[in-house]
Amino acid sequence: MASTAIRRMAVAALAAAGIVGSMAAQAAEDPIKLGAVYIRSGSASSYGAFAEQGMKLAIEQINDNGGVLGRQLEYEIEDSQGNSGTAIQAMRKLVYQENVDALMGIDSSGVAQGVASTVPQLQTPLIITHAATPDVTGKMCNDYVYRLSVNIVQNMRGAAEIAADSGAKRWTTIGPDYAFGRQSWDFFGQALKEKNPDAELMSETAFPRFGAEEFTPFINSIMDADPDGVLISLWGGDLVNFVRQASDLGFFDQDMEIMFTVGAATEVLDALGEQMPEGVWLGTRYWFDAYDNPTNRDFVAAYKERYDKAPSYNAEGAYAAVYAYKAAMEKAGTTDGPKVAEALSGMSFDSPMGEITFRAGDHQTLVGPTWGKAGPMDDEFGIRSLTDVHVFDGKDVTPAVEETGCSL
Amino acid sequence: MKNAIVLIVLAVVLAGLVALPWVAPYFYIFLGTEVLILGLFAASFNLVFGYSGMLSFGHAAFYGIGAYATALILLHLEWPFLACLVVAMGAGALLALVIGFLSVRLDEVYFAMLTLAFGMMVFAVAHQWRSVTNGSDGIAGFMLGDFAPGIDWSLGDPAVYYHVVLGVVVVAAAVLYLICRSSFGLILRAIRQNPERVSFCGLDVRRYRLAAFTVAGAFAGLSGALMAPFLRVASPEMLHWSMSAEPVLMSILGGTGYFLGPFFGAAVFVLLESWITGFTDAWMLVLGVMLALMVMFFRRGVLGTLLDWVQGNHD
Repeated sequence: MASTAIRRMAVAALAAAGIVGSMAAQAAEDPIKLGAVYIRSGSASSYGAFAEQGMKLAIEQINDNGGVLGRQLEYEIEDSQGNSGTAIQAMRKLVYQENVDALMGIDSSGVAQGVASTVPQLQTPLIITHAATPDVTGKMCNDYVYRLSVNIVQNMRGAAEIAADSGAKRWTTIGPDYAFGRQSWDFFGQALKEKNPDAELMSETAFPRFGAEEFTPFINSIMDADPDGVLISLWGGDLVNFVRQASDLGFFDQDMEIMFTVGAATEVLDALGEQMPEGVWLGTRYWFDAYDNPTNRDFVAAYKERYDKAPSYNAEGAYAAVYAYKAAMEKAGTTDGPKVAEALSGMSFDSPMGEITFRAGDHQTLVGPTWGKAGPMDDEFGIRSLTDVHVFDGKDVTPAVEETGCSL
Repeated sequence: MKNAIVLIVLAVVLAGLVALPWVAPYFYIFLGTEVLILGLFAASFNLVFGYSGMLSFGHAAFYGIGAYATALILLHLEWPFLACLVVAMGAGALLALVIGFLSVRLDEVYFAMLTLAFGMMVFAVAHQWRSVTNGSDGIAGFMLGDFAPGIDWSLGDPAVYYHVVLGVVVVAAAVLYLICRSSFGLILRAIRQNPERVSFCGLDVRRYRLAAFTVAGAFAGLSGALMAPFLRVASPEMLHWSMSAEPVLMSILGGTGYFLGPFFGAAVFVLLESWITGFTDAWMLVLGVMLALMVMFFRRGVLGTLLDWVQGNHD
């Protein structure tokens, strides 16, 4: 019986060890802490790596220029593993254990749907810098969740314009089997039908599981269906694997329009190099070469100098989010979570995409995607360039607040 | 005398757990909740593994179905939480009865493979039945209402939820403990040691195994029902075979020969994970090394080894 007794003492000791964990009071001169949750493992981990680079760059720049409210910035980053349960626990850890003042990040639409409703409980604002499901600034919107990056509806309205102009009639899709792939196809279909009522949305679609690695059967079934155009919303390692396998199967030699909704992510272009075929349409939330303003020029130059790479949209999103928090904390005059969240609403700030505004009605920024055709290799960065570039204005592709389903 | 010591230590631990939200940093409420839920999950698994000697690789199926049952009920029917717990236990037991009926007739690796196969089937259903389960995104966005009809404890408050979980887990663990200590539990242990002999005594080994498997399924379902509102999502990962591995790891880590071993293993697992991921993402690597060492040198688990060591010093 003594065994049970000691067993229980050990449990008590363990509980006590937890209790001793420190919780230092925040002094005014302590650094301001930003907490980030990105995907840092698995097939899309390069997105988390680029985001961290963008975030770090912004923090260093701000700290060199006197910080925010006279305090330095620092950050903590956690891995979401592309899983909403893990992301929610990571956010709780950041807020309650690391005592971060603000949250940012979130890569996947599925993860964003999972975490959105838990943020108000944390009393800490979250700026989503990548995940694109319209729901988090739509039916699931709340006082603490903001999104800086282009969402699915904005991107698909731009895509539909290009698709309608291409003249292709019968469209199908290959996308990851979760919210992002499904919603990309839904909103693309809606927008395309508005622009071209004759367009046909085929029932033969392909939704491989996220992280599938083997795409051959999906590629074959789409080629057998013989569409005029294919919308491909794969991303991350999936997209890299897909392009390699599709090239081997002659997918890109077919006579069809091919549109990669997030194909101009420099993470992917970097990994593929010349293997990304010329002539396909590539969409992106941000293209480093498409914005001619001083903020963007400085950002691209600084990023290149620091990392010798072209910044991706994920790097830009993370970079801009740090500046958004700087602006919001200065506007609020404090780092207090609820006040910073309030300050973000309706706030405009300077980002590499120009001056952008978090719309008060749904907390989505009015931003638009960039679409272009894969062109010759860019010798400076070793990735495909974009030709025939279309930069969509956020005002033209963002639905009115009443249409989003959000009421704040 | 020894009994008194046990009771005193148990009371002190319980008091510490009850007081946790007031004395520990806020974040430890979340760790505590997770430890309790996963501890119950692992303890339910250990009824099958440690007590009955059957290594199941499909235990996450029952945990996951409990989570999905709860999430679906909260989303569509908005029943009180207590009703969700009851339904989730029933769902876990029913699924375990079906899978167990087909599996317990086999031994050793065949039993392990069969439970793994059924576990993967359940995962595939949750992953692909989009209209009901929302596919790989899982079910999120549900709200926690009353605990029982008319009893509103504001379960959305993490400290309140922690106390509810603590209460449910303590009651469930007590029931499990009584089951393990009963003559039924004794027969299970006898089956683990020598099924032929038990069979010759005139007992239907298969029926006892099925009963143990079903009871374990019910408690796994209960732990899943507690986890879904805690994570605010029921996702297919909760049904994945890698989730089935967690109670195996926790039981081995803590010590399969002790009733509290799995709880102890869950605590070590969760606290180490939180601590190690603080400075490296290679948590799985560290865990792998630790488990390899445990299995090679400390078969009795952290708890067992600790006890041996302490007793050795005293004797």
